[in-house]
Amino acid sequence: MATRETPLQIAERALALVAVDEAQVTVVRERSLMSRFARSAPTQATEVDDTSVEILVVRDGHAALASTNRLDDDALRATARAADGAARAAAHGGPGTYPGLGEPSAAAPLRGGFDAATARLDPAGAAEALRATFAVAAEHGLEAFGAWTAGAVRTAIASSRATQLEEEVSDSFMKVVCRDESGRSGYASATAASAGEIDAAAVAQRAASKVGREPLAELGPGAYPVVLEPEAVGLLLEFLGGLAFNGLAHVEGRGALSGRLGTSVTAPAIDLADAPLHAGTLARGFDFEGVPKAPLALIDNGVARAVVHDRSSAALAGGDTRSTGHATAPGGSPYGPSPTNLVLRGGAATDVAALCAPITKGIYVTRLWYVNTVRDKETLLTGMTREGTFLIEDGEITRPLRDVRFTDSVLRLLEATEALTGEQRLVSEGEFYGRRFANGVLCPALRADGFRVTGATR
Amino acid sequence: MLDLLTGVLSGAPARCSYAEARHVATDEEELLVRNGSVDSVDRSAADGVGVRVRTGGGWGFAATREATRAGVEHALARALAIAESQPATAAGPLVAVKPARGHWACAYDRDPFDVSLEDKLELLFAAEQALRGDPRIVRSDATCASRRVRTAFVSSEGAACSQERVECGGAISVIAVDGDELQVRSYPGAHGGSAACAGWEHVLGVDLAGNAPRIAAEAIELLSAPDCPAGRRTVILGGEQLALQIHESIGHALELDRMLLMEAAYAGTSWVSPGDLGALRYGSEHLNITADATLRGGLGTFGWDDEGVAATRTPLIEGGVLRAALSDRGSAAAIGLRRSGGCARADGFARQPIVRMTNVSIQAGDAGTLEDLVANTDEGLFLETNRSWSIDDRRLHFQFGTEVAREIHGGELGRLLRNPSYAGVTPQFWSGLDAVCSQSQWRLWGLGNCGKGEPGQVMRVSHGTAPARFRDVQVGVA
Repeated sequence: MATRETPLQIAERALALVAVDEAQVTVVRERSLMSRFARSAPTQATEVDDTSVEILVVRDGHAALASTNRLDDDALRATARAADGAARAAAHGGPGTYPGLGEPSAAAPLRGGFDAATARLDPAGAAEALRATFAVAAEHGLEAFGAWTAGAVRTAIASSRATQLEEEVSDSFMKVVCRDESGRSGYASATAASAGEIDAAAVAQRAASKVGREPLAELGPGAYPVVLEPEAVGLLLEFLGGLAFNGLAHVEGRGALSGRLGTSVTAPAIDLADAPLHAGTLARGFDFEGVPKAPLALIDNGVARAVVHDRSSAALAGGDTRSTGHATAPGGSPYGPSPTNLVLRGGAATDVAALCAPITKGIYVTRLWYVNTVRDKETLLTGMTREGTFLIEDGEITRPLRDVRFTDSVLRLLEATEALTGEQRLVSEGEFYGRRFANGVLCPALRADGFRVTGATR
Repeated sequence: MLDLLTGVLSGAPARCSYAEARHVATDEEELLVRNGSVDSVDRSAADGVGVRVRTGGGWGFAATREATRAGVEHALARALAIAESQPATAAGPLVAVKPARGHWACAYDRDPFDVSLEDKLELLFAAEQALRGDPRIVRSDATCASRRVRTAFVSSEGAACSQERVECGGAISVIAVDGDELQVRSYPGAHGGSAACAGWEHVLGVDLAGNAPRIAAEAIELLSAPDCPAGRRTVILGGEQLALQIHESIGHALELDRMLLMEAAYAGTSWVSPGDLGALRYGSEHLNITADATLRGGLGTFGWDDEGVAATRTPLIEGGVLRAALSDRGSAAAIGLRRSGGCARADGFARQPIVRMTNVSIQAGDAGTLEDLVANTDEGLFLETNRSWSIDDRRLHFQFGTEVAREIHGGELGRLLRNPSYAGVTPQFWSGLDAVCSQSQWRLWGLGNCGKGEPGQVMRVSHGTAPARFRDVQVGVA
């Protein structure tokens, strides 16, 4: 039966059925389990077992893609014909700009990244995590809401240029919202390559500790010192990844760092890299064009150093520019390349209390919500705080704060960053739209000045 | 496929109090012409079966790409194992539903999959070429997308139905840059345009090439236009922006699962509670909202929802007063309703149904055409085409940006203004609604990027709108 084949075997079988000179077959097998809960009871549990085959055909500088999740020879042939027909149709309009498939390379060697126990997707493990969470919430007189998930994704690439790559990664994510009868709530999450590294009770304890009991404070619009926990920092950095480090946007003059590489763009304390082989991240050995992953310094001591590229954006950039291994789809995504393993170096602060210490009046933010771009080149975002926003007074967290809307620039916040904790945490949103591609940001908490508040909830 | 699914479910063990199986086959095609060349041609086909079961109070769902008897039986066994492993919980009721039977298909004139790639690309090349010319336009895109979804649904309560939906849409957009200034213009809407449950005629009808020169010229004009001023102003929202305003501050707020805290950890809750139904004043007397899964052309149109509940039309807000919520079988039963609102929808075979919008629309008013409405407005702003959006997790405090604003002076449209934005609090904002254009201005706007659920589900919905006027709106917030 076809599913007994490994993804690489399926990719090679499909490649043999593609009657064209230049083609790449990418096979991704996802197996995952997600258990959701609300009001301290399980609500939904979803197990997925799916395999997708993407066939990329290149003709006259045009890359066309067709995909299927049927693995029999007839379906693969039909998919190859669809891709080839699309490439021929595209070529009717004249030569394209796709630089063609790359020469074969070995994947970067991963240390860790896959845990066999996690890959078993045992629903009993999910149930155990939920029970532990419910117990912690009950101890605090709270209700628990959230999700636990684990996944194993095996990716293989075979191409007419003799590329043969395959790797399997696992991931796990848990988040807990603890909530009291009045609706006050606190959030905590954990992300790791191994489900065994996630302590559900500890996550729940952290969430429960964020449910403020004191009278609610309010802040009007204005600029305030802020302490951002890693979940908030990570989300801002993910947006920065798309707005500043996307090589396609950069080449087109749309990027936030267009014309600014080599210049100071943040505080000197900011060292930001894409580090796909870092043991603390969800590691990857190659991208969707088969280019090996490697560490890349993006901001070094506050100075912008690089943007990321796939083969298309590198070709557009010209000169000596090469792909940095950041294609997010076979043939590159129309949205351009993207960093997927951001790592922000920690600083000297011992903990978040030390970050709060110098603040006379400011805001403590656990997480951000519904963040969206207002103006790309300014990295100007808007969004809300959520589930753990507090007032800092005279160096200490004193009271829960009504959630606020911020409208601020990520680069400005990083320029106004005054201190970072030494401890970093791997954070992610755990959303998993479409094909599962787990990624996260490894980052510390930080303190910045002038966080721009533009509104508040009722 | 119905026989296969029925056969497997008939073998479900007696301890399984409910079971359903849904086969979904999806074909998609996306074409993009960018900066004078074909940038991407993507075609995909995927199918599989999702099985959802309930034992005791626990639910389990397993999805497989193997749409064979053996594959579905394995998925059923996995779903049962998952349900039975859940921590014990009370079994909430489900409202009764008449078992769905038969076949439903959406109406369209020309199957977009019968149109050749060459013809589609020719249309896109013509539109994209008409966008170019000024060197400050750094990106010019023309896109079209087609989608066909075939579904077969069977339940242990006797449902056995199938349906087929065809969707397509097309769009153009440009990005213009001058120094640090970047401006965007799109047509017929942002975020990939405005798709419909329709055939290729829908793409031809929006006349991409005919609108391209205007879009490009406006993007260039915006580069040096004055910034939208800050303050409290009268605002007229164009249909596309009003569609998103309804989506975010009414549609999501009225999802009953959110009100019941079932989505508290992700999508969020709602400022509305079930006890508000029938009594809460949501907005002015001009606010009339319906959820209608029977509308021709809507992305939220179907024969049955993904629990086998027949499509229906439900008034949600009448004369500004809240009347009903969006519900599925479980959430409806939880608040004592006798029937589901028919809003259970799932994204493909590998996701389970959750409460989603169908086609949530504002009813047309009597303000005439957009020109009439502008003529009856002394001072204000006309805001058009969404550029950014954000709202809190209770769907109360929002902030939107649009691609373009035009001044309204003495009943006439004036200068173009760049970087417009506005913010508000849901009930206050809708209380400021004082005019909605007439039926001749009403049309459906398709949104294809509504995210909810874990693992994430992208749903496609439509909103019918006509341009509308709001008083005392905070603008220029970003």
